[in-house]
Amino acid sequence: MNLRNKLVLLAWFFGMSICSLIAQSSVSGVVTDSETGEPLIGASVLVVETGSGTVTDFDGSYTVRANEGGELQFSYTGYQTQTVFVDSRTSIDVQLLPGELLDEVVVVGYGSVKKDDLTGSVNTIEAETFNQGAIISPTNLISGKVAGVQILSGDGQPGGNTNIRIRGGTSVNASNEPLYVVDGVPLRSGDGVAGSRNPLNFLNPGDIESMTILKDASAAAIYGSRGANGVVIITTKKGESGAPRITYDGRAFISSAIGEGQVLDADAFRRTVTFVSPSRLELLGDANTDWYDESLRAATGTQHDLSISGGGESNSYRASIGYQFLEGVVRGADAERVSLNLNFTQRAFNDKLTVTTSIKGNVNNNNFDNGPLGAALTFDPTQPIFDPTNLEYAGYNEYDLTLAPRNPISTIDQISNEGTAYRAIGSLDLNYDFDNLIPGLSFKTILGFDVEDGQSRRFVPTTHATFTASGFDGEFNNNNQRRNSRLLETYFNYTRSIGSSQFSLLAGYSYQDFQNSGSNLNGQNLETDVFGPNNFNVAEDIIVDNYIIENRLISFYGRINVNLNEKYLITASLRRDGSSRFSPANQWGIFPSAAVAWRVLEEPWAVGLANTFSTLKFRAGYGVTGNQDIVDYGYLPTYEFGDQRVRYQFGDEFITTVRANAYDAGLKWEETTSINLGVDFGFFNNRLNGILEVYQKTTDDLLFTVNVPAGTNLSDRVITNIGSLENQGVELTLNAVVIDKPNFGFDISGNIAFNRNEITQLDGQGSADILVGGISGGVGNNVQILRVGEAVNSFYLFEQRYDERGRPISDADAEDIDMYVDQNGDGMINDEDLRVIEQPAGDVLYGITGSLRLNKFTLDFTLRGSIGNHVYNNTASSRGFLNFIGNQDGFLKNVHPSAVFSRFRSAQFFSDFYLEDASFLRLDNVNLGYNFGQLGNSQINLQLYATAQNLLTITSYSGLDPETGVNGIDNDRFPRARTFTLGARLSL
Amino acid sequence: MNTLSKLIFLLLLMSAAACTDLDLVPQDRADPNTILSDEENYEPFLARLYAGLAITGQLGPGCDPCAPDISSIDEGFGNYLRQFFQLQEFPTETSVIGWDDGSIRDLHEQSWTSNNEFVRAMYYRIFFQVSQANEFLRETTQDKLTERGIRESFWSVVDGFRAEARFLRALSYWHAIDFFGDVIFYTEEDEIGSEPPVERSRADVFQFIVDELAAIESIIPAPSAQEYGRVDKAAVWMLQAKLFQNAQVYVGRDLNAEAITALEKVLDTENYQLEETYQNLFLTDNNLSAEMIWTIPFDGDNTQGFGGMTYLTHAPVGGAMDPADFGINGGWGGIRTTPEMVDLFPGGANSADSRALFFTEGQNLEIGEDVDIFENGYGLPKFRNVSSEGVPGVDGRYADTDFPVFRLGDAYLMYAESVVRGGGGSRDRAVQLVNALLERAYGSSAQNITDADLTLPFILEERGRELYFECHRRTDRIRFGEFSNNGVWSWKGGTPAGSTTEAFRDLYPIPASELLANPNLSQNTGY
Repeated sequence: MNLRNKLVLLAWFFGMSICSLIAQSSVSGVVTDSETGEPLIGASVLVVETGSGTVTDFDGSYTVRANEGGELQFSYTGYQTQTVFVDSRTSIDVQLLPGELLDEVVVVGYGSVKKDDLTGSVNTIEAETFNQGAIISPTNLISGKVAGVQILSGDGQPGGNTNIRIRGGTSVNASNEPLYVVDGVPLRSGDGVAGSRNPLNFLNPGDIESMTILKDASAAAIYGSRGANGVVIITTKKGESGAPRITYDGRAFISSAIGEGQVLDADAFRRTVTFVSPSRLELLGDANTDWYDESLRAATGTQHDLSISGGGESNSYRASIGYQFLEGVVRGADAERVSLNLNFTQRAFNDKLTVTTSIKGNVNNNNFDNGPLGAALTFDPTQPIFDPTNLEYAGYNEYDLTLAPRNPISTIDQISNEGTAYRAIGSLDLNYDFDNLIPGLSFKTILGFDVEDGQSRRFVPTTHATFTASGFDGEFNNNNQRRNSRLLETYFNYTRSIGSSQFSLLAGYSYQDFQNSGSNLNGQNLETDVFGPNNFNVAEDIIVDNYIIENRLISFYGRINVNLNEKYLITASLRRDGSSRFSPANQWGIFPSAAVAWRVLEEPWAVGLANTFSTLKFRAGYGVTGNQDIVDYGYLPTYEFGDQRVRYQFGDEFITTVRANAYDAGLKWEETTSINLGVDFGFFNNRLNGILEVYQKTTDDLLFTVNVPAGTNLSDRVITNIGSLENQGVELTLNAVVIDKPNFGFDISGNIAFNRNEITQLDGQGSADILVGGISGGVGNNVQILRVGEAVNSFYLFEQRYDERGRPISDADAEDIDMYVDQNGDGMINDEDLRVIEQPAGDVLYGITGSLRLNKFTLDFTLRGSIGNHVYNNTASSRGFLNFIGNQDGFLKNVHPSAVFSRFRSAQFFSDFYLEDASFLRLDNVNLGYNFGQLGNSQINLQLYATAQNLLTITSYSGLDPETGVNGIDNDRFPRARTFTLGARLSL
Repeated sequence: MNTLSKLIFLLLLMSAAACTDLDLVPQDRADPNTILSDEENYEPFLARLYAGLAITGQLGPGCDPCAPDISSIDEGFGNYLRQFFQLQEFPTETSVIGWDDGSIRDLHEQSWTSNNEFVRAMYYRIFFQVSQANEFLRETTQDKLTERGIRESFWSVVDGFRAEARFLRALSYWHAIDFFGDVIFYTEEDEIGSEPPVERSRADVFQFIVDELAAIESIIPAPSAQEYGRVDKAAVWMLQAKLFQNAQVYVGRDLNAEAITALEKVLDTENYQLEETYQNLFLTDNNLSAEMIWTIPFDGDNTQGFGGMTYLTHAPVGGAMDPADFGINGGWGGIRTTPEMVDLFPGGANSADSRALFFTEGQNLEIGEDVDIFENGYGLPKFRNVSSEGVPGVDGRYADTDFPVFRLGDAYLMYAESVVRGGGGSRDRAVQLVNALLERAYGSSAQNITDADLTLPFILEERGRELYFECHRRTDRIRFGEFSNNGVWSWKGGTPAGSTTEAFRDLYPIPASELLANPNLSQNTGY
């Protein structure tokens, strides 16, 4: 139906354009290089009014049909574009001037520089090249686009959280997330407030103008202690002077879950029970229920974005409103977002003063799923969903047993878990030009605030089995959280040219404080269900706790940029940062950086090279950045009161307890020193260009929670500065304009990044070998390790032995055959036989994006892949053993199908049988667009597009999805969705 | 315009001389001086030293985020009493567990390594207690009290508190040398953040504990003159007796005479008497029992957690057992016992001995190949969350039952043992005391013993029958030389039939993490 409509529209459009051609006359001419006079082959000639055009032939000549009063635009890669009025001419020859079209400007910390003048590793992605239809998080807009930048989403929740790793993680216990700076306001780190899924959801992707990634320390060091994991600078769209422009963007989504539940179906389950647990056959039911499938749905969604922008002589504005509603593919989960964005700029005093205000606000309403999938994979498939006689559980079929799984459909239908989160970020940006006092001097102040307020309300009615099977009736949780931040940034900028050299100087001060407070209220044993989570009085037992945390960052910073004769570029910066998280003796840290670049082609002797290269720039950078993203007050000795549930009986009284907390008075900054070497190159007037970079990042004084020698502190583990970590890598980016004709174009870009991560030292009083990577199944089971010489979170498992038929040796086999390799040969298999094997992070990450343009059609795609990433399949290991079926009384549990192959009788959590190579290649995004241009004589432009996300994944991983977030442990995830989007963009 | 520019420029220059204050103090907790300037807060701090045996952190179960005491292990798992039980009972015939939690099964199989997380948790729990007690002693000196303006009339109260802190520290040091042999040693003299403690021999630490107990004996209140839950002199004597009775193991000296002296003080007080019904010692109203010398109190409303008595009342319940009969919301289906434990009782599970609290319905006597199936092995739900009247505890999730650390029945058997071992005392009295226990067990004197029956093998078996699950079994078996290289029971050594293990397993290994962290330490032989 939709396709048919579209065909009709297309036919109509073609008919219209043919009609308009009749009124035109023919224009022809030759396009040449203004310096050499050589004809330019394949230069574009565009008829501005109609959007049609042609390219020059081998002689540089062209013929187009154009209106008498119209304009022709001539362009050629590496040359300046010229626009010429046709007047009444029929022959127009044009000489194009070589050189850049425009000086492309790139945003860097506290200012911007010409792209050619960059000395560090900085990548900017403009809105035009964003992934279309990114619906999980704003960060997905750049997924696969930048070498060495990995966007990790753990699962497929609508509006879900993502993690970004830029050139590998630099820390173990402190944060590994980059700093986000939105319109000059640095955001706090950490998760969203209560009731939200992703702290970045306040941003409507449609409002984002560009995202810039500062990858290396020479670029990021201006952000000092917050720059160790790179910086993502997000700039929102601003208005432009002129008549009001209105745009509307509407989309409809439909999603379905990828993959099927990995369970035995009812028939296979009956056969398996007969074989494995014949004494429990009477527990089988008569139904055939696919619990996993029953828990999922085809999810729909809509999005509407409306914006208006414009401005006068001395001001400009842009206002937008966005609405998005997305269902999750798991029943019960959804996300709604309403966002507002307002930017206003006013210039005054002969344009010396520029005032920009920016306000971004949003409200997120979320419904969270209540984890029905784990139960869906476990619940006996021979049992029915409903049992109308079971009124105690509202007619759902449930086991009246504490340890039994809960009916997932009852969980979906009965448990509610809503969240509401508000976030508003406002800034006032004053820029004053002191040219008449000291030429080249300007001053800038940014005042900003960031307020978040969230609430989550979870309600389990008395008719749900979670509590009633345990003899308890109903529960609610009501969590409130408020986070505030205030910002003051002030800096001077001084620019001066001497001859053909320029230098600029920046010096500034920054103050930002953060408050985080909230309370959690838990009520149990409800008198009635009618009020849901909204009436505390009906709970028999109430538990309340609260928290108040503050921290503060104060900084002084400076930077010098020097451009010597357009050949040599030098950048040096210094930041002195203070953080309230350290004791007065360690509060201040100094973070320097320096970088140089050499534009070889500007050298007089390089004329010969210029025949081959159109760009050749070598860069070298060094910088130190810090990390202070740890818990607050860790350096202070404190005493903490216990709550009312951990009191102790003295006589007839219960005494509230006071504990002395552990602390490390000597806590200090984690420091990452990085070196970056790069070369920017371009051929054929930059139609083929690229960047090659190598880097090394060494993190010292790692902030690390380690076992301290017993007796030296008040707990077994303390966060302290210990050890070192290293990341080394190579990145290559290539961009090619393969075809560039007025009606036909094809661009392709590819990037590939190799990164190696290693813990190089864990010295001092800390211990090596810390087990991490907790899994589901048992308590306190860890499958990963932190060990010197290995990558962070390397897997640490037994080496499974296999029989000659390739089946794993099982505990069902003869007793004298070891299941695992006895690594130390001592005749026993115990934890000394565990070995380090593989790691969650990929060795190679790559992305390929392409853009095809044919007449008014555009086709864009993003392919993304990873090689060498490994996943521990916890969904399989937690249920993949035959005793799992009947190891509890009164009910049966479904097993993971791998148990039928492995024949494991009891759990084998530490077998590397469950560790899999999860390398993948994924067709992330395909977008097909059609630009109608102006609709008839109206002022309205129309674009239609269709997007498919997650269309195809090639992997050998046996679980649902090879991408499992940061830690590489796959456990009953919210499945990722394949999403189709249809959209229309109207502009006026 | 120029003037305006200059003015703005000046203003901006001034604003750049801005705030550089970074000293923020927490608002929901405070530094020691602030807390301890109020004399009301000394008792809560002391209560926390006791509570270290019962709770796991400053926020109750279900907290997020939590405030755990130690973090090397899941918070509920890391409870002091839970670890103490697991390390004392699992490696013996009294209990076996089939869970899949890390290397928990290695405890019964006696195949643990220095990486065993439960051994590690016990180690850190012990020294968490020592460190908190040291902090208490460091922060309550008379100098500190004077400094904080605490009135002198309160000083004597603090002196009493300090003696109790020293008792609790001595208790944990006893556990340390019992489990680990030579251990680190440090006191309140060693400040936080100082050099790693040095290793001291088992004998040195033994002597320290003995000296400490002697020093506080006069300060600690007389038997029953103390509030419930806090230690009195009888608890001090019991701890002394424990040390002296095991001195052969700890320091190679026979101190049974000293043990008799301490035990006689307990037996002669007349403050304590045997509970009439054995089972009532392990129910929610056991705090009322006159047999208790010192307990770790638990309460379903006020002292919650997933360790301690919650664990001991839930983990042995499963199979055909109805949780309601045990006063709990649901069994955890974990702990069962071995056929060898059943055999300790004449007549096995159907013994006339009322201490044979086995649950056999739907359970197999033999454990067989599948340890993870709860039906394999008889149930032994000794501690229950119901009162002697059958009233369930206040909250089925968390137990009300208190844990008997020292009780009179134990003192009886200890006395008998030290008499048999030649420590003096009276054999007649010993036989009389043992018979008192047997009469309670059988409800008659039918099974009473004579002087000739009072032998060491009898006492080891009798301690098994009387005191199983009360965290004595491993220490007892080691004292009798029947723990590692002697004695076989199901799944010991890792086979269904059981086998002996090497003698070095009489000591647990120093955790690998600690060995790497503290270069002053040496590993125990065999690990």
